[in-house]
Amino acid sequence: MNDLVDVSLQVNGVRYDVAIRPWRTLLEVLRETLGMTGTKRSCGEGQCGTCSVLIDGEVVNACLYLAIEAQGKEIETIEGRPEGEPVLQQIQRSFAEKGAVQCGFCTPGMVIATKALLGDNPQPSEDEIREALVGHLCRCTGYVQIVEAIQDAASRLARERLR
Amino acid sequence: MTYLRRLPKFEYVGPRTLTEVCSLISGGAPDDAMLLAGGTDAILQMRRRERVPRRVIGLKGVAELDFVREQADGGLSIGAMTTLHSLLSAPAIRQRYAILHETAAQIGGPELRNIATIGGNIAGALPCADLPPALMTLDAQIKLSSHRGERWMPLRDFFPEFGRTVAQDDELLSEIKLPRPAPYSAGTYLKFHDRQSMDMTVVGVGAFVVLDDDGRTVRELRLAYANGAPTVFRAMKAEAVLCGQLFGEKVLDAVAEAACSESSPRTSWRANAGYRLSLIRALTKRAIRRSWQSASSQKGTK
Ligand SMILES: Cc1cc2nc3c(=O)[nH]c(=O)nc-3n(C[C@H](O)[C@H](O)[C@H](O)COP(=O)(O)OP(=O)(O)OC[C@H]3O[C@@H](n4cnc5c(N)ncnc54)[C@H](O)[C@@H]3O)c2cc1C
Repeated sequence: MNDLVDVSLQVNGVRYDVAIRPWRTLLEVLRETLGMTGTKRSCGEGQCGTCSVLIDGEVVNACLYLAIEAQGKEIETIEGRPEGEPVLQQIQRSFAEKGAVQCGFCTPGMVIATKALLGDNPQPSEDEIREALVGHLCRCTGYVQIVEAIQDAASRLARERLR
Repeated sequence: MTYLRRLPKFEYVGPRTLTEVCSLISGGAPDDAMLLAGGTDAILQMRRRERVPRRVIGLKGVAELDFVREQADGGLSIGAMTTLHSLLSAPAIRQRYAILHETAAQIGGPELRNIATIGGNIAGALPCADLPPALMTLDAQIKLSSHRGERWMPLRDFFPEFGRTVAQDDELLSEIKLPRPAPYSAGTYLKFHDRQSMDMTVVGVGAFVVLDDDGRTVRELRLAYANGAPTVFRAMKAEAVLCGQLFGEKVLDAVAEAACSESSPRTSWRANAGYRLSLIRALTKRAIRRSWQSASSQKGTK
């Protein structure tokens, strides 16, 4: 039996035509087939949030999503669009400047979740930020700085919009 | 290191309509084909090799199973593929079925709620699932569809034993229907767990109170439990204790005792059976008290 299935995935605005096995998760295909290793693999069961990506703008765990089911959808990862993405870049700058990155392993997932949060709710309260991140673990335990970074990104993006 | 394991090999089919799904499962061999809704549990079952299906039938493309619709009779109809996120975004649920909103909000985080579905939460038949007790207190009916046709049944009769439903191998859960909420009624779901979030339920108690027009006598009480027994269940004997009674602490004690004797919780690493019974006793009273308070405050405003 030839297991390979041709699929077309739209990742960060670019279309990739690849042959994959149907039992591969989106996380495996992003990392291993497309070489996009920014999205991390850790718990493999939806608890840690390091594999978070956006599918049609909604944040999901790529470890719990079959790649074959992501066809026809818009996938966004921490790599961002080749031409650069101002919102993603601002969130990343805020994380760096506010000391929200220690070992950095949880950062891509946190940044992606922040993008989803700020898309729905541009001025979240601290409680709303913490609620949005319940599915993310930082084993360096730098949560205070992570919340501060998200507040910083929210207010800078708001100022940007006013200009 | 199960978490690093790949999924077992399978063939994938992605039907677009309910009719196609029904014909795909009409053969009815359970381990041959597995339905994949959100996959938040199904993928983990495969990763742990608890299920090794030859074929996976993905339901995400079946748009006709994804809806929240208000009914002419004042009830609400929900498609099995509605995600928890969509439940939370539906104004009708927030306004008229607050217990369902409250319960969905307590499950997982945004990543999970964006893909986990109401149908998967019910059909997974987990004793710790949070939506079934809330839905049972709302007297939910469910629709099972197959190539032979469809049938409706009360959700409370859906779980005959641990991990099983009464659905035949050629049937899938397609729709959930909630009756119109009675006047002067309110419910609450109390989920007890160790962490604030992202944790499975140790014991969950759903209570729903319907008051008489006097605003004091309990016309109806519905109680349902997660992890109170090998399946989610309604404690109908305990419910009867309060029916037709005036609300009061003494009768509440009797209801809680009755609920404990109808329960048969298990001992696991999360909690032993005795601890779970203590939770059932305390949370039953708390859930009824809260529901009664909010039902009787509605009386005051009308
Ligand atoms: C990190 C994490 C946290 C969680 N927290 C909670 C929690 O707090 N509370 C809780 O209740 N659950 C929780 N869960 C469990 C699970 O996510 C939910 O039960 C979820 O609602 C399952 O829905 P799904 O669409 O992902 O189902 P799937 O995983 O796709 O399916 C579950 C089962 O139901 C079957 N099935 C699915 N749809 C149908 C259908 N329409 N007809 C017949 N059979 C069907 C599948 O074949 C499978 O056996 C958690 C899971 C994870 C990974």
